[in-house]
Amino acid sequence: MKTLLLILLLAVPSVVLSAQNGYIEVTAPGNRQLKMAVASPRSTDGPANPETARQVSDVIAYDMNMSGVVIAESRLQTTILSSALGDVDFMSWQSAGFDLLVKGEYSLKEGRLTVEFRLFDVLSRKQITAKRYLGTAKDLRRFSHSFADEILGAITGEKGVFTTRIAYVSAQTGNKEIYVMDWDGYNPLPLTKNGAINLNPDFSPDGREIIFTSYKRGNPDLYLRSLSNTAEVALSNRKGLNMTGSWSPDGSKIALALSKDGDAEIYTINKDGSHPVRLTVNPALDLYPAWSPDGKRIAFVSDRLGKPQIFIMNADGGEVRRLTTSGNYNVNPRWSPKGDKIAYSRMGGGGFNIFTIAPDGSADTQITSDGNNENPSWSADGRFICFSSKRSGGDGVYVVRADGTGQTKVSKGAGVYFQPVWSAR
Amino acid sequence: MKNRMVALLVGISMAALFTGGCANTEAVKKEEAIAPTVAVEKAEPAKPAQPAVQPKAVEQVKPAVSTPAAPAAPTSAAVSKFETIYFDFDKSDLRTDARDVLSKNAAAILKAAAGTKVQVEGHCDERGSAEYNLALGERRAKSVQKYLTTLNVKAENLSIISYGKEKPAVSGSDEAAWSKNRRAELVVVK
Repeated sequence: MKTLLLILLLAVPSVVLSAQNGYIEVTAPGNRQLKMAVASPRSTDGPANPETARQVSDVIAYDMNMSGVVIAESRLQTTILSSALGDVDFMSWQSAGFDLLVKGEYSLKEGRLTVEFRLFDVLSRKQITAKRYLGTAKDLRRFSHSFADEILGAITGEKGVFTTRIAYVSAQTGNKEIYVMDWDGYNPLPLTKNGAINLNPDFSPDGREIIFTSYKRGNPDLYLRSLSNTAEVALSNRKGLNMTGSWSPDGSKIALALSKDGDAEIYTINKDGSHPVRLTVNPALDLYPAWSPDGKRIAFVSDRLGKPQIFIMNADGGEVRRLTTSGNYNVNPRWSPKGDKIAYSRMGGGGFNIFTIAPDGSADTQITSDGNNENPSWSADGRFICFSSKRSGGDGVYVVRADGTGQTKVSKGAGVYFQPVWSAR
Repeated sequence: MKNRMVALLVGISMAALFTGGCANTEAVKKEEAIAPTVAVEKAEPAKPAQPAVQPKAVEQVKPAVSTPAAPAAPTSAAVSKFETIYFDFDKSDLRTDARDVLSKNAAAILKAAAGTKVQVEGHCDERGSAEYNLALGERRAKSVQKYLTTLNVKAENLSIISYGKEKPAVSGSDEAAWSKNRRAELVVVK
């Protein structure tokens, strides 16, 4: 059954879109960060459920704080909040030090949920954007994330990625199985339950399918499955390794490492697993292909110079050049969605850390320094990198801004997490 | 008014997006209700219990140093017909002790019933990336396979598989554990 869901845009005062890029400069002189109050929404029918209301404002405040664009505060309902949506006491919010205000109201009747949000500019006393969502009770977090996407869009000109998901590998059942969770770690769901070793999930560009390597029939083969049903198709079960599958940006091909011709080499196959095309010809190990966002180049790992390093080649295998020149063990490349950086992990001093580097080899920058950090993956807007971490502060999937700030553990469960990968929008 | 038209279009496309997204969530949740299957790796050959590791050989193992002493014989033929072969860190070439073990293993294979199929499993220690270790484990299995064929074991009776660092023989994060995990095991397959 498909959830009936309508999103109605309310009468939005004509805030001109082109003005939004300059929004931060206009309203926050100097380099002060904007402060945002996220008021817990008012119940429009019957007594308020403080828990529900609090969850909504907490989700939005969390997302906005993680973005680093504003400093957000979740505010419990007070007398000045219980007024109608459009009725805002701007003076009070301004004297409390806030530049932006999110107000909302909701109704939850017989499982049907209606939520309406509005974003106000406190200083200019104007409504910036507004949305209404209709769904069921279980959509509460999702709607809150969705309005956070809107807020980020209104402030920066590019919508957020707070409704996206992260797939990962966990051994919590004793075997490595694939799971999917919301980007903030909520709603983890098992995808595979085959009791074998399952590795390296990757989302299709439309976010509806996942490829991964599994030993469920003995050999490490590459499988494809939809997120909406349990059927799994063996996409590549060629002799030897069928591993580190990576979907091309247009979704038509998959790059992967196969060892059918001797040792691990990079190939592309069609989305249905057919037509393998070999891209590397080298007695060394070549693996972990990562597409550039325009699909024209592929970064990969090779130990052709002795130790594993990251190389870049054209998508037809031509013009191979070495990318990483510092450190003697660099793996796990992933190209940023904007194309300007490649995230990777480097082993040194016994542990791994996340780095980013420009595709021309410049601006090699260390992002993490605490514990053991592997398998970086970018959010669709390039704002964040998720990665797996083993550290004294807790093992799990962590999210960090691309500049290295705001490092936060997002996964909620205990145990070790592996190979997280972020879905597209 | 124009703005509103644009906004309406955005709204409609958002609605389409969300409807699709929710359909996914529904189906995934439905799958949650399915009872987890019993943990069985069907295609994996009946694997003998872990052969007893010879402590003496292990102590001698150091990265980049060959250990000439051959390990002792397996404790029980019933546990395993074959001895495990060990490797140096990030290496897949066969040490002298490994060659000695493989000579014995080859003799055992040649004595076995005609057509006995043996799979060589390549394994790595926990250091390094999981993906690189899968490829390295395969390289180890391959060098064992190649050496066995030079000892007259028929190539068609040998297959290889890599488990990378996914199936350590022992747990632990020190050289004693690592040296036991950098290995190739021979198992009889049907």
